[in-house]
Amino acid sequence: MAVTIVVAGKGGVGKTAVAALLIESLSKKGVVLAIDADPSTNLNLALGLPLGETVGKAREDITEAIQKGTLSPTVSKQDVLDMKIREALVESNKIDLLAMGRPEGPGCYCAANHMLRLTIDRLAKSYDYTVIDSEAGMEHISRQTTRDVDVLIIVSDVTIRGIMAAARMKELIKELRTKVGKIVLVVNRSRDGLPQEIQDAIQKYGLELIGVIPEDPYIGELDMKGSPLIELPGESPLRRGVEDIITKLGL
Amino acid sequence: MAGIFPVDVGPQYEGEVIRKADLYVEFGGPNVRSKFELVTLKGLDEVDNEKIEVIGPDMKDMQEGGSYPLGLMIDVAGEKLEKDMEPVLERRIHLYANYIEGLYHMNQRDDIWVRISKDSYNKGLNSLEEIGKILMFLFTSELDVIEKISITFVTDEKKVEELITKAREIYKARDERARGLREEDVEEFYSCALCQSFAPTHICIATPERVANCGAISWFDGRAAYKLDPEGPVQEVKKGDCLDPIRGEYSGCNELAAVKSMGTYNRVYLHSAFEHPHTSCGCFQAIWFYIPEVDAFGLVHRDFAGPTVVGVPFSTMAADTSGGRQVEGFLGMALEYLRSPKFLQADGGIRRCVWMPKEIKEKYRDAIPEDLFDKIATEEDVKNVDELVEFLNRVEHPWVKGEVELPT
Repeated sequence: MAVTIVVAGKGGVGKTAVAALLIESLSKKGVVLAIDADPSTNLNLALGLPLGETVGKAREDITEAIQKGTLSPTVSKQDVLDMKIREALVESNKIDLLAMGRPEGPGCYCAANHMLRLTIDRLAKSYDYTVIDSEAGMEHISRQTTRDVDVLIIVSDVTIRGIMAAARMKELIKELRTKVGKIVLVVNRSRDGLPQEIQDAIQKYGLELIGVIPEDPYIGELDMKGSPLIELPGESPLRRGVEDIITKLGL
Repeated sequence: MAGIFPVDVGPQYEGEVIRKADLYVEFGGPNVRSKFELVTLKGLDEVDNEKIEVIGPDMKDMQEGGSYPLGLMIDVAGEKLEKDMEPVLERRIHLYANYIEGLYHMNQRDDIWVRISKDSYNKGLNSLEEIGKILMFLFTSELDVIEKISITFVTDEKKVEELITKAREIYKARDERARGLREEDVEEFYSCALCQSFAPTHICIATPERVANCGAISWFDGRAAYKLDPEGPVQEVKKGDCLDPIRGEYSGCNELAAVKSMGTYNRVYLHSAFEHPHTSCGCFQAIWFYIPEVDAFGLVHRDFAGPTVVGVPFSTMAADTSGGRQVEGFLGMALEYLRSPKFLQADGGIRRCVWMPKEIKEKYRDAIPEDLFDKIATEEDVKNVDELVEFLNRVEHPWVKGEVELPT
C-alpha cells in the first residue's frame, strides 16, 4: 500500500536534508516518488538527480494553450497534463522525482490544479512511498497534490520560533481538507540535546517529538564539494537520526 | 484470461505505471519524434480480417531500455459503424492497451507513449504481434459492432514519418468536425462545480457550444472528466427539453441551477446576458459588460490591467460580476466562447460588441466578422464612453446604425 509522507518546516531548518535521507533510506525498502514542493527546487541536488521540467511549467503551458485556444477541441486536457507530468518525472533506479516548481501566477488555476491532483494521485498509487518536501507546510499540498497524508514530519531547529512555526503548521492542517494520519516533530541540528525551554515549548504546543538529530559535521564537507547529501557516511548523525525515525514510525 | 495470452489482461492493470528501471522497451514518449495511432473505418471488403502486421523491427530485435518510433494503425469495418465513431474507437486503444499486464499507454494521436515491462517481456509479451492479438481480442469482444479488424504496427522511422502526415490531416479534419458539434446534436451537457468553494451558488455548464467560464473545461473535457471520475466535480446533465432555442434555455439546466444554487435561481439562459444570464464564479477569463449609453457590450479579459472604456478596470468589474450570482448585463465567460456560433445570440452576439482590448481583438480575429473588425473600438481608439459614441458613429458600427436584427 502506498504511504504518503510530508516533510515540512520553515526555511533553513534542514528540511530538505531530512527529506533526502528519508527518501534514500526508504528506497532500500521500495520504490519512492519524491515530490519537491519547495519552489526553490533543490531536492534533486540533495538526491544527486538532474532537474526535470516542473509541474508549474506544465500548468503554465496548458493554461497558456487554453488562453490561445491552440489545443485540439477533442483531446482532453487531463490527458495532455498526464503526459506532461510523466515527461517531467525524473526517473532513477528506485527513486522518481517530480518538482512542483513555482506556485501559480495570477489568474484561475482551479481546473488545472484539480487536473493535477488527479494526475499526481493516480501516479503516486504505483509507488510504495511518496515523500513530499514542502516548504510552506500543507497549503499547496492540499491544493495540488495528494489528498491524504499518512505522516507529516515537521522539522524544526533548536529555537522557540521553530517550535512555534511547527505548532502553527499543525493547527493549520485542521482547516484543510487534507486528512493527516500522524503528525510528528523532528528537532534538527541540536548541539547538546534539547534545552529545557524547547522541551517545555514542545509540551505546551502538544507536539509529538519523534527524533532529535545532532548537528551533522559531514554535511558541510559534502556541500563544499557540491556532492549530494545521500553520500553521507553510515555514521553521519543525520543518516542515523533519519533511520531511527523510520524505525519509530514503522515505515 | 490466463492461458490464451502470455500475460494477464483486465481492468485491474489500468493506471499501472512502468518505471524506467522496470522497462524493457518504450515506444514514443519524449525521446521519440515519430509516433502516432489511428483508427480508420473501412468497407467490409477492404479489411483483411484478423491480420496483424509489423512493419520494421519487432521487440525481439530491439535493445533493452531503448526508445522506438511507433505508428499503430487499426482498420475496422462493420455494418453499424459510422465515421464519427473513429475517434471514440481510437480512444479505446488507450483503455484496452492499459488492460494489458506490464504495458502502459499514455495520451493519444501523435503524442503517444507506450512502455512494456521487463517482467511481461520475459513472460512472453515479446512481440508487437502478441500485443496486437490482445488488442484485437478486446476490441472485438467488447464492441460487437466491429465485424472486421486488422492491426498494423509500424516501427520503421521513415515509414512512420510518412504516415504521420496523413494522420495529422485526419486529426485536423476531426477537430473541424468537433468544432461543428451543436447543442442540438447531443443529449448531455456537463456541469462543473470546481469553483463552488468560491461561489456556492455557481454551477458552470459546458455544452458543445459553450465552454466553461474558465476556458479549461470544454464539453469534450467534461465528458472525459466525468468518465474518469463519476463522483467528481464534473457531472453529466441531461439537457432535457429545449425551452428557448435562441436564449439557450433547457429544462435540465434550469433544474440543475435550482438544485446547485439552493433555490436562488431556477432559470438560466446559456446564450444571453439579460434576464437569467449564466452565473459567474471568480474564475472567468473575461467579462462581457453592458454599456447603457450605447445599449451595447464591451469585453475585457483578466490580463488587461488598464481601465476599460467605462472607466473601471477588470478587477473592479470582476468583484461585481463574480460570486455565483446572475448579474444582468455582466457575464463572466471564456474567451473561446467568442468562437461559438451561439455566442450570446439572443442579444445580437459579437455584432453587439463595441469595445475590447486590442490584444483580444488580435488573438480572436477569426471570431470577428471581417466587416465588423475595424468597427470595434480598442483602448487605442477611445478612452471613455463619449469618445466611444463618437467613434461608433464615425465608423458606422452596425449595431448603432440599427442594422443588427435580433433572432426571434
